[in-house]
Parts: sequence; structure tokens; C-alpha cells
Amino acid sequence: MESQSLLSHRESSVEDENLEEEEDDWSDRSSYSTYSDSDSSSIIPDWEPYVDDFTGELLYIDCHPFVTHNRYQTKTVEEPEAFTKSQLRRSTRGKFLRLLRRRESKRFKKNQKPLEEGFEINTQKVKFQDFQEGEQKEVTLEIDQENRYNLSSDKSLAESLLGLIVSTLSDGNRVMIAGFSYDSKAKNDRNIKIGDWLKTINNIDVNVHNLDDILQKFINHNEVLLTLQRVGATEVTKDPPINELNLESAFVRDLLNSKAEENLLVLQKLCDFPVGLVFINTEKLDENNKANEDVIYHFPKALKKNALCNSRGIFITLSHLLEDITKTSPKISSMLYKEKLAHVVYTKFNSKLMLFMLPDERASVKEVMLMNSELLRFLEFSFENIDQCFCWSRYVEQVDRLLFRYFARIICNSDWATTDQFMEYQFDHKDINNTNNCIFEQIMPVVPTLKLHDDAVRQIDEALSELEASDYREWNEDPLDCQRLFTILGSALFHAGYLLHSHLMHDDLVDVYNFCKYQGIVHLSKTEPVKSLVLWKEVYPRSCRPEFLGTVKIPEGRRYLLVVGTGKDFLAVIMEAGGATEPPEENMGPDAFYVEEVQATLAHIQELGLSIVAERFLMSNGGFQIANPMPSMNQKRSDFIGSLGFPTKSSVPQAHKESSSGIKKNEVISILKRRSSEQNVLNTSHEDSYDAYSEGSESQSYSEAFSEISDESSRNRKLKCDSNDEDSDFDDYGEGSQLSSSSCDLSEIRQSLLADSDEYTPIQLTSGRYNVLFNFLQLDTTEGLLVTPLDCNLHSNTYQLILNNFRRCCQNIHSIFQSTLRFKSLPAQDVAKSLMNKSLIAIKEYGMLFECPFNDEKESNKKAKISYWVIGRLFYTPHPKELYICYQDTVPQNLVELAFKINLNSIL
Amino acid sequence: MSAYIMGITSGSGLPVFSRKKGNCDSLSFSALGSLNGVHMFGKPLNIELLNTLTDDYVVAWKEFNDSLVIIGLASGCSTDVLNRLLKLIYDAIVLIVGIEEAKTQRNIERLKRELRVCYPVLDRLLDSLDCGDSSNKHSSDIVGYVETILCSENHLIQIVLDSFSECVDSMFSCILINGKIAAATESWWSLHPHEIRLLLFLAVTENKDISKDIPVFLPYKSPTVAFRFVACSLISDVQVCCLCGTTPALIDIEQSATQCFKNSSDILKAASQCSPRNFPYTIAVDNGILGLLLVNIKLKKYMMSKNPQQTSFRKTSSSSHRLDILRTFFYQSVINILIPNAQTWQENNIYEDQKTDKLALDEFNEGLETYWCSEYHKCHAVKVNDNILCVLYNAGTPIHAMRLISKNTLRVLISDKQVCW
Repeated sequence: MESQSLLSHRESSVEDENLEEEEDDWSDRSSYSTYSDSDSSSIIPDWEPYVDDFTGELLYIDCHPFVTHNRYQTKTVEEPEAFTKSQLRRSTRGKFLRLLRRRESKRFKKNQKPLEEGFEINTQKVKFQDFQEGEQKEVTLEIDQENRYNLSSDKSLAESLLGLIVSTLSDGNRVMIAGFSYDSKAKNDRNIKIGDWLKTINNIDVNVHNLDDILQKFINHNEVLLTLQRVGATEVTKDPPINELNLESAFVRDLLNSKAEENLLVLQKLCDFPVGLVFINTEKLDENNKANEDVIYHFPKALKKNALCNSRGIFITLSHLLEDITKTSPKISSMLYKEKLAHVVYTKFNSKLMLFMLPDERASVKEVMLMNSELLRFLEFSFENIDQCFCWSRYVEQVDRLLFRYFARIICNSDWATTDQFMEYQFDHKDINNTNNCIFEQIMPVVPTLKLHDDAVRQIDEALSELEASDYREWNEDPLDCQRLFTILGSALFHAGYLLHSHLMHDDLVDVYNFCKYQGIVHLSKTEPVKSLVLWKEVYPRSCRPEFLGTVKIPEGRRYLLVVGTGKDFLAVIMEAGGATEPPEENMGPDAFYVEEVQATLAHIQELGLSIVAERFLMSNGGFQIANPMPSMNQKRSDFIGSLGFPTKSSVPQAHKESSSGIKKNEVISILKRRSSEQNVLNTSHEDSYDAYSEGSESQSYSEAFSEISDESSRNRKLKCDSNDEDSDFDDYGEGSQLSSSSCDLSEIRQSLLADSDEYTPIQLTSGRYNVLFNFLQLDTTEGLLVTPLDCNLHSNTYQLILNNFRRCCQNIHSIFQSTLRFKSLPAQDVAKSLMNKSLIAIKEYGMLFECPFNDEKESNKKAKISYWVIGRLFYTPHPKELYICYQDTVPQNLVELAFKINLNSIL
Repeated sequence: MSAYIMGITSGSGLPVFSRKKGNCDSLSFSALGSLNGVHMFGKPLNIELLNTLTDDYVVAWKEFNDSLVIIGLASGCSTDVLNRLLKLIYDAIVLIVGIEEAKTQRNIERLKRELRVCYPVLDRLLDSLDCGDSSNKHSSDIVGYVETILCSENHLIQIVLDSFSECVDSMFSCILINGKIAAATESWWSLHPHEIRLLLFLAVTENKDISKDIPVFLPYKSPTVAFRFVACSLISDVQVCCLCGTTPALIDIEQSATQCFKNSSDILKAASQCSPRNFPYTIAVDNGILGLLLVNIKLKKYMMSKNPQQTSFRKTSSSSHRLDILRTFFYQSVINILIPNAQTWQENNIYEDQKTDKLALDEFNEGLETYWCSEYHKCHAVKVNDNILCVLYNAGTPIHAMRLISKNTLRVLISDKQVCW
């Protein structure tokens, strides 16, 4: 289907080759050119000027206009000379590009603008200072004749007809002028300014909801009369260069700023915390060497104030001493620095030693070791090896910057901290959130995954495969007579920081995700949907590093990471230059063609509605039901143990003395729980009859009652779907596809994908009548995948308390499992010699029961308590996997069964 | 396995004692000196080195009263346990030489000589590390806790003991069977658990069949004024111990002991039969149970049993390994989860106001139960009020049955009035 649609476009695209710059409502770069200030730039990609001259690296982020009223702070990063340079660059490598340029990617036809009809994706993020009384103007505007009937789903009606990009004012109802399309006549009208409130059209009051309807009415008119009111207190120049609107938030500015902080105050503040990293050459320690010559690298930069630097003698000595005494090298030391507990991790590289220090209030012993290895992985991925990263002067500045970000983030105990945030940060001992905040899954070498349903995954699979195949010849009518520049090694698609699908090697996937996390891209995609993001950097994937390969030979070459993002999605691609392709250049910059290709793939995926599907999954906790903690008093319990007349504790209600038939009932439920849970979810109106079934009725009537319910519920389900079909968002999709005749096939897929996901409801994982699952984590360190119910939407205090304890326990359980795994990997002849505690070598399940006060409801029942289990389970085969769950103590749960259900969930 | 402990004076850096366990070479003086050195280097930098981990080993430093640094190096155990041990070792030193001598160290040679008395105690203390090694003779030692034995005759012995206390005019006395407390006066239990544990070791190490009269300082109750610790053997394996002042003389105490206990020798004999089961044969437990550990976290006393089945008289080689498993389970899991704020800092660190470290439980979440499933066995621990029962099951026992059996067993054990738990 897809290829057909692609074919049909090819002709038009070849014809239109030279029409690129002409107005064409589905011009492939409308989203770019709309905002660019010069016509010529439509040939040269927007990001081209930002490519680093020396290294060829690139980080380009184009935000949605985000206007605050102190606009003077804003400035663009553009450098004047950059332009000529970029033209030069293009000319040197233009051959391949020129050939391929003829072929406009059909998928790329799909406009790259995020889908505005998607309810989750908020494209325009313009905010203006809002004043009710402002200067009112009336403007007569001509309706664009050419675009009048040329409507597509990509452009709003206002954009097609009036050349105006609209958004809402802060109240979410009034319409605001957010920008002009590049060919807009309105742009030249002095009376229309960005930020104006569009009050009426031909004297009809306009709001967000009726704008399109009103415009429809005037579709045949030649001109309309707009009433605008100035609401912004902003100074808008006569003809505002639209670039000025492309402001970055503080966070994005921080991301783009690649210079290390030299500020003394920042340094001073950093030295106040027991944090640091030192890289030492232990061979340079004798008396012939100058003072501090052994220190290859240190952070924070003040040598005299750096606690770790000053005390390095202790750790160097220990590292040698313990190796002599115990024949094992030290891993971590704990110490009190200024009465504060801190940990120092050792990493040895032959004669070099890296020390890494963090305070205990931010990272416990176990956490800091994981964080150390995570940091090392990141450095090795970006700089090939640790030696290079700290020794080469060209990297040092980058490393400084990265480490500053890293430590600032950890000290501030947040996902990201800009320099300003760091300076404002005050450590507060009393703040509960500040201390005892346990981290577990965030620092494990795994990638959080969103398990979409099969259809969606298949679509992504196809799109990624097509990208990776790089089969350009078929799309190009002239035979290609040049070699490729890159082979694509693999790609992975993320949404809001969650992996949707990956074609990367497992190790590389973890590295890529880690890289994106350290570069702030994960945080960016979670918090600020961007218009466009391009990142290019030479990387050193594990799968291609000789030390991890053994005897396997791989072609010599260089690998590059290309990350392209729009909205909340980003697509990471590892490309290889060398081997089958043209030989790699030194410091190769990104190639426009490949960037476009990846952008096109991403646009295609978004066109299919996959980001909406992903967003829906996000909203539904990744497809898993999570229970809100409720004190056990309120709940009717059907405790299996309790029902056996088990002596219960005072806090556990003894109200459930169910007879032996009660047990039987429970068993029945557990067999049927898959379906029954669905019913529970789907229609709560049947709660009553269901109650009757599970409590009162006799065993022979079970099946009857059950089938009745299930019939009815499935009917209900169908009804629900039908009614959903009439829902507005479905309508919108339908209409969209009719309007843009081009994307007919795609929209069919899209529709079916969206419809599928609607049918998909979160499942209940736990056995028993009520959902008692608080959280779970499935760690697969071999494949680098993490499955968990995402960032939960539940924000009760009790829940946070439980969750924090859950993470802490996971950390402990994990380290017990590590010794099991370590023993399993010991060669048989070493078992006797091993110094491991023989009682810890075969543990596969570890559980603990906790009780905590329920303090969500004030006053009412202060003594109410919640008891819950935290259980970890290790699966050895086919490869080690760990499952951790946290659930309320009612019905005993079987972890093997739960693991099955979690994994089955993805196949649904 | 190997474990070392050494004491070095802070001021002069002279080694005071050095003990080791396991078949390993003694540490050279240079290694010892360097270990002390790294701890010392930190002081001018405002750094106090606490511990260092390697793959298998853990090293911990602890400085007491700015005068004595005790360094421990052991394989297989956790930092937490090693820290507790260091504290106990310092207490053992104070027990023998008193706090003044331990602080000021006027005469190092004399200090060293005096400390020889407690070498057997120090060596025994090293046995409480769980190195996960079956060569260990005393797998039932738990650091910082006092071992007891639950005989059905305990309540009878208690009565006799009380009259003995009156005879010798000592409030602090107890009866030991195989070095485990069978009965003790109320005041005896008011001593710090460390003091009790050390006194018991003092009574049983070396020859336990002869009477002992050793001057001791009580590290918590009386660190400056010495008492006399007297232990007399009644029948083989059974001893009576008491703390007293300068009078009465040892010979008088021995006479009172004979006087008081001459009519109850049958009871004592019967009670000593309880070992090694350590709880009455009248109490039957589930067949799946391989080992028991009953702990009172308030009094810090425990009972450990490796032969709970009446039928299993044959001593299997694995039976001591069972105790190892139970102890490791207690150290690794129970101590952190079920005992509130038991983590190193509050209980053992010299900085009293220091907060617990990050992995310690917060005060809101209270642990009630915990279990391990290994391929060969299962462990389960349940807490009811101040009592914790840890049970070792065979691998076939289902988890929900474990919970049920443990709770029932615990109830049976603590409700028996005769054993005086």
C-alpha cells in the first residue's frame, strides 16, 4: 500500500524538482521555510550553519515559538560567517547529494509539522502577556486564491486562506496570531502583529472552536475584515524578523551552550559539595615529577579546593595496598567529608586510576557504583576510551561541560538543572524529598520501553527497515554511479524518552539512550516538544569496539550517531562510514541527504499516528493497571492465608473468615482473572452482578453467570467502540484523510492503528478480584530493556512513600541477585577457591512485607495502615531477567505467572 | 576465608594487638602501617575514612575516643556486620583494661600484656562474621546478640539461681549451658547486650571446667570501676556466672554454688540434654523446617537450632551449614528489613547524631516479613512485636505455607512459659 502511494508521488516530485521554492502547500519543507527568513535557505538545511567547523558535530534545536514578555533576553546562536562555510561544505560533497536530490522522498512529502489534530501534541506554544484593553485595529485581508481549495490536513484553514498561523491566548479560548506562513501577504501588513488577539472575522466573534467554521463560510470571498486587538505588552518591530520568535527556553539554551562554565561562583558552589572526578596517572608519582603532574584531569576545576584531588593520596595508596593484601582491587570507599557521608568509586585502567565521588544523600554505595559505570559507558561511547576523553585537549572542554551538567543535575536532585537553577539551589536538610530519594531503574543499564501493540510495532519496524535498507536506487530513475556515504547500522525510535522500537544491538541501544539522557534529549522530549532537533556526533558503539568483539573482524571505519526529533519523538540512527561505503573523512559533518531521510522517516511514523498511539499508551500507564494505595480496612479482603484461620496481626482485619468454599472461589477467579479483570475495567456498571457471582452464587451457576456477563460485556465493549467512532477525534482523522487525497493509504493505516489502540485497555496483572499492584519493574540487562508502568499519574504521599521504599528494596534485592549471577558465571574449578558467601549463591526470589501508615486522608483514620509486598525474582533462562513487583498484601501472587502476563501484554 | 583485626594507637601509630582467622598469612607490619596510614592521612583534610569494598573483601576503620584505631579486614561479610564487630572488639578491650587505660595508653607494653587475656574473646568474636564457609566452628554466633537456650527446665533453674544470687549477694548472675544462657536474674538482662556477650565468651573460652575469677570493667555500665566476674562449673557443660565486688572470695562463691545446686543436679542434667536442639523436645515443629532462629530485638537475645526434627539424630555435615545460611539471612536481610533503624549509623557509629545512610529504612515503612528462595532451601522471617522468627525450610515448601508455619511456630515458642523466653 505504502509503496503505491510512494510511486504516485514520484512523478509529481520529479516534475516539481525545481518548484521547491515555489509555494506549494505540501512542499516538503513547509515547516522549515515558514520560519526561515531567507528564501535561499530552503536549499540549505536550517541546521547547516551550526555544524561545528572543527569536529563536524552538530546540535540543532528549533523550538516552537515561545514568547515571554521580557524579550530582550533572547538572542539566536547564529554566527554570521557560518553561512558561507556551509555553502562550502555542501559543494565539497555535493555529488551524492545532487544525484539524490532529484528524488524527493515521497514520505518526506508528508509535512514535518507535528500533527495538530492530535489532542496531545500542542504545537504552538506561544504565550503573550495578556491585557484586556489594547489598541484595536481593523484589517482587510485578501484570501489566498491559490490555496483556497488546496486544503490539506497539514495546514490549518487560517494558514491556507489568510497566511496566518494561529494559536490560543493564555485562556485557551481566544485566538492569537502566532506567526505568518512565509509567503503570507499578511506578513507585510503593518497592522497585524504576532501576539495579536484575533477578535472577529467579518464582525463575527471568533474563538478557537468556531474559527474553522467561520473561515469555511468565507472560503469563496475575496477578502475578509479582521478585527485585531493588541494584547501583548511586547515591542514588536515594524516587520519582525520571525527568527526572533524562535526563542529557546532556558533549558534549551543551556543544552545548546557547549562552553564550560568558567564562573568562579559556580565553581565555588560546586566545591562545597562532596562531588568530583579525578583521573590520575599513577606512574607519575615519584619524586622527579612536579607537583600535581599525576593529575591528568580533575573536576571541579579548582585544584586546591577539590577535596578529591587533595585526598587522592589516600585512594591511590589504598588501591595498591588492597590489591597486594587481598588480590582484588578496591571498588568503593566510604568516608565522612566535613561530617557528611560520601562515597568514592575506583576505576582502574592499567596504570591510570579514575576516582569518582558523590555524597550519600544523593547516591548510596550501590547507587554510586551503578552511576559510575553509567558515566563511564557514556564517556566511552562518546570519546572512544577514557584515556582519550581526559587526555585530548580538544575533548576536555566538552568533558568539563558534560560533567558540570552531570553534577549539577545530581546535586539539585532533578532530571535536569541549568546553571541558573544550580546557583539558586539551596540544600535543605529538612526537605523530605531531598533526602532518602532512592533511584534504581534510572541508573540500571536499561532503556525504559513502551510496549505498543503488534500492529504499531510492525509499522515502526517497516519504516525503520526501509530507512536502514537505504535502497535509494529504486526511488531514483537515473542510475547511481557513486558509493554511499554511510551504511546504517541500526536505528531506534523513542517517544517522550521511552523506547518504542529498536533495531540496534542491545549494548548500543543502552549507550544511545544513555547518550541522549546525558545530552538532555530525553528530558527535552519529555518536557518540551520541539519543532526540530538534529544531533550529529561521532560515536564509538560497543558493537564495533575491538575490546568487546574478540575475534570477530569488523570493517575499519567511523560511526556516527544521528538523532532527529520532532515533537516528543526522536529517532536515533547509528551510521557507519568505511567498509562498504566511501572512505570516511576526518571530522565528517552530517550529510543533508541522510538527515532528510531520517526526518522523512520520522515524519512518516508521525503521519501514521504512532505518536498519538504512543501518547495514549503513556496516558494508560503503558497498558498496566496501577492501584491506588488504600488502607486495608476499607477493602474487603480475600486473603488466602487469612481464610485458613491464620493468626493475623492486630492491624490486619480479621473480618475475612471465609470458609473453604471461599478458597475455591478465589481459585476460580484466578483462573478466569484475565477475562474477569477486563470486565472490571470495561464496565463497572456490572460490578453488582459480578459481586453476586463471586460472593453469593453457587458453583454450578458460575459458568452461566460468567458467560452471561462476558457476552454482555463484549456487547458493551462493541458499543463503546462504536460510540467512540463518532467521537470528535475520530471524525477529525477521517476528514483529514479525505482532504489530503495524497495520504489516503497512510490515513487508513493510521485510522486502524488508532482504532486498535482504543480497544486496548490496561490489564490487571495481579490475581484476585481487586487490582492490588502498586508498581513493577522488569529488568532485562542482556537486552537492555526495562518494562515498567511509566511515570505514574498517582501522586498521593503514601504512594510516593511506598514507591521510594520499593526502589530502595529493589536495589538491595538486585545486589543479592548479582552474587547469584556471579556465582553462576564462575568456572567450576574456581568455585572452591572463591571467597563468596556460600549461602548467597543460589537465591532466585527475595520478598519482603512492609507496613506503612496511610496518610492521604487527613484526620479521618490516622491509624490506618497499608501492608504491601516487595518481591524480586530472578529468571536465568534464556538469559538473566529480573522482575520486581510491589503489591498490596491480599491474595498471594505468583511471580512466574506475573512475569508471563507482563510479557504477554506486549503480544496483545 | 580470612579475617583480620588490628588495633593501633592513634597518637603513636603503634600496633597494640593483631588477630586473624582462617588459613591466611599474617599481615606484614608495612601493610598494617599503610592501612593505618590511609586512615590518618584524611584527618588534616577533614576526611574520615570509614570503609572500602573490593570484590570479596571489606575493610573498615573505626577510631575510638581519638585514641585507638581498630581496623578490620574480612572476606565474604557485609560492611555493616564488620562495623558492628569493630565496636564489639573495642568493648572487649575496655572490658579488660578499663576506659581510662584504653584512652590514655600510658604504657603501651603493659596495655599489650593485659590485652592477652582477651585474645580468646577476640578470636571468638571473629567467628561471628559470616564468611559463608563451613569450616567455622561457631556458626551460631551473631554479632551484638546474646545466645540463649530454651530448656523446659528453665523456670526451675531460675528459682534456684535467684536463691544463689541472694547467697553470694550479687544481683547479676546467670546459668550457662554450653555457653548459652538458660536462666539469668532480671538485673543480668539489664546489662548492655555487648557486655553480656563478652562476659559469656570470657566464661566459656579456654577451659570451662575450672572456676574463673577475672576483674572486668563494664564498658557501658561501669567503664572506670572494675568488678569481679566469677564463673564456676556445676556439672560438665553447665556453669554459673556472677558479677560481684571485692567480696565474697572465690572459694565462698564456689561453696554457695554447690550448696544451692546440689539438689537440682538432675534438673541441670536434663536441661543440658536440650543441646544441640536448643529448644524443648516437647515442642514439635513442621517437617519442612531445617533450622530455627528466634530473636528478641529488645533484649537482643536469640536462640538458634539446627536440629529441630526429633528424628534426625544423625549429624549431617550440612547441619552446621544450616546455621550459616540462617545467620547470613539474618545479617543480609532481617537486620535491615525487620529491625527498625538497625543500620550501622545509629546503633554503632560513634557519631551519635549521624543520620542513617541512604539505604537504611525510613521510619515510615516497617518491615513485617521477609523471605528468600534459593535453589536448595528457603528462608522466611516473621516479626511479631519484639520477636522475630527466622526459619530455614527445605526447598519444597510453598511460600504461603511458609508464612503460616512460621507464624504458628513463633506463637508456640513464645507462649511456652517453662522456657522463660
